[in-house]
Amino acid sequence: MPTVGELSALYENVLLGPRRGPDVCATCFNFTAGYARCWACAYGHPALDAVAPISYSIAREQLHHALASYKRLNGDVARRLQAILAAILWRFLVLHESCVATAANTNTNIFDLVTTVPSGDPTRDHGHPLRNIVGELVAPTRERYHRLLRRTDAQTGPRSFNPHKFEAIRRLDGPAVLLIDDTWTTGASAQSAAAALKAAGAGRVAAVVIGRHLNREWHENDRRIRGIARPFEWQACALCAKPVGSPPLSG
Amino acid sequence: MVALLRTGRRPWVEYAELVEQLGSATAALEHEASAEREPGAQTTLIPDRRESVDELVPHATADLEHWDAQGMRLVTVLDPDYPPNLRAVHDRPPILFIAGNITRGDAKAVAVVGARKATEVGIEQASQIAEHLTRTGYTVVSGLAAGIDTAAHTAALNNDGRTLAVIGTGLTRVYPPQNHALQRRIADDCAVISQFWPDAPPTKRSFPMRNATMSGIALATVVVEASETSGARTQARLALAHGRPVFLTKTLVEKQPWAQQIVERPGTHVIHTPAEITTALERLIAPGTLVA
Repeated sequence: MPTVGELSALYENVLLGPRRGPDVCATCFNFTAGYARCWACAYGHPALDAVAPISYSIAREQLHHALASYKRLNGDVARRLQAILAAILWRFLVLHESCVATAANTNTNIFDLVTTVPSGDPTRDHGHPLRNIVGELVAPTRERYHRLLRRTDAQTGPRSFNPHKFEAIRRLDGPAVLLIDDTWTTGASAQSAAAALKAAGAGRVAAVVIGRHLNREWHENDRRIRGIARPFEWQACALCAKPVGSPPLSG
Repeated sequence: MVALLRTGRRPWVEYAELVEQLGSATAALEHEASAEREPGAQTTLIPDRRESVDELVPHATADLEHWDAQGMRLVTVLDPDYPPNLRAVHDRPPILFIAGNITRGDAKAVAVVGARKATEVGIEQASQIAEHLTRTGYTVVSGLAAGIDTAAHTAALNNDGRTLAVIGTGLTRVYPPQNHALQRRIADDCAVISQFWPDAPPTKRSFPMRNATMSGIALATVVVEASETSGARTQARLALAHGRPVFLTKTLVEKQPWAQQIVERPGTHVIHTPAEITTALERLIAPGTLVA
């Protein structure tokens, strides 16, 4: 049986840890062109009390492909990708769930409930691999996982906030909820999910996402991505690491 | 798919992405054609003299018949017999040309690579590793180059094992020429695989692309003996970027500064005996519960 340590180590060359710093969105760690928040977070509808991306996911690169493939492929390959992603999530939460809870101002350093953002495609939500990861494979979330949300019939684009995109399956009595998703692009889905949880009575709601999507081609992203320390450092997360200084000029 | 690739407007890996998203090459072709009709799509002043879709499809059909007659089979990323491990890497090629047959069991594969100018010790190590992999039910993947690659393929064949050759040219080329007989033997008994058009010559870029494909087909890469400038070193780097384990022989790490550096990176293992490869790998790929 593989251990969390050895499986997650396989992706240490792939993961790119976000850090606070100048021109980094204070909400979602997107790179900005001189702003404190990226456009989507500044003009969006923040319902989440904290967002912790484990890694950046660069368009068409390995993590991006893994985050699409673990739910698209079948058989052993999909199972192994799910195991690796589960190991990454497991190791991150053991070390940093308390950082996320602190950032979200929960009363305790652990969330009461854990749930996932339902698939954008309602027909794919049942038995979705992400639910298998959070509800079965990852021991630190297994006992606390509940399916709390479902997709409504509301017509919503994949990149737009809509508090009615999801609805809670049951009323909540003020618990702190940790929302897990594989990818954050604009955050519209996760923010919509958080809004639905709060409308149903959730207390603090925070999101942990495996990959914060980036395009290398945008603005100075390529230079900034190349400036990220490698290999991946587990001991510090986006929320607890010391901010990095201004990005060095490329030479 | 052939027609789509012949349009040649994007890097090939983007076509792999596009067809996976849209579900078929026909849909991707229509997508490309409609993008072209959009206002402002014309990005050059010179009118496009490339063939239209209507011309490309019959040409592609003729190509396929021609390749088929020469004993080459085309497998696309949408086909069920595309190598499953290769699907999971970001730089998977949209098509593969195959001479011979890939089996389901070939998904349990390890790449064994190394220098063209190998020492006797290196040849012996590569043979022992390939023999061990064969005996433990693994397919040996290599690049049909002289030296370590040849030793790995040969040891697998001589032990009645499976071996796949992933080459850096089109299938109708033989590089190096002295491996002509070995290439034939692998195609007859197992499979020779190429991601390039059948008549494609070797180029500076084709070999690293081939190394990415070889890493992708295999569950792990073993580097036996390789210098600073060898393709095997490139493959070790690419395998780590794929999130796949890399095994380096103890002698390689003792001799090569690049190996001493890469061994510091996560995902690399130094091996003293061939059995250490399969022991480590069996653990990593085992199904079942994760443990803390």
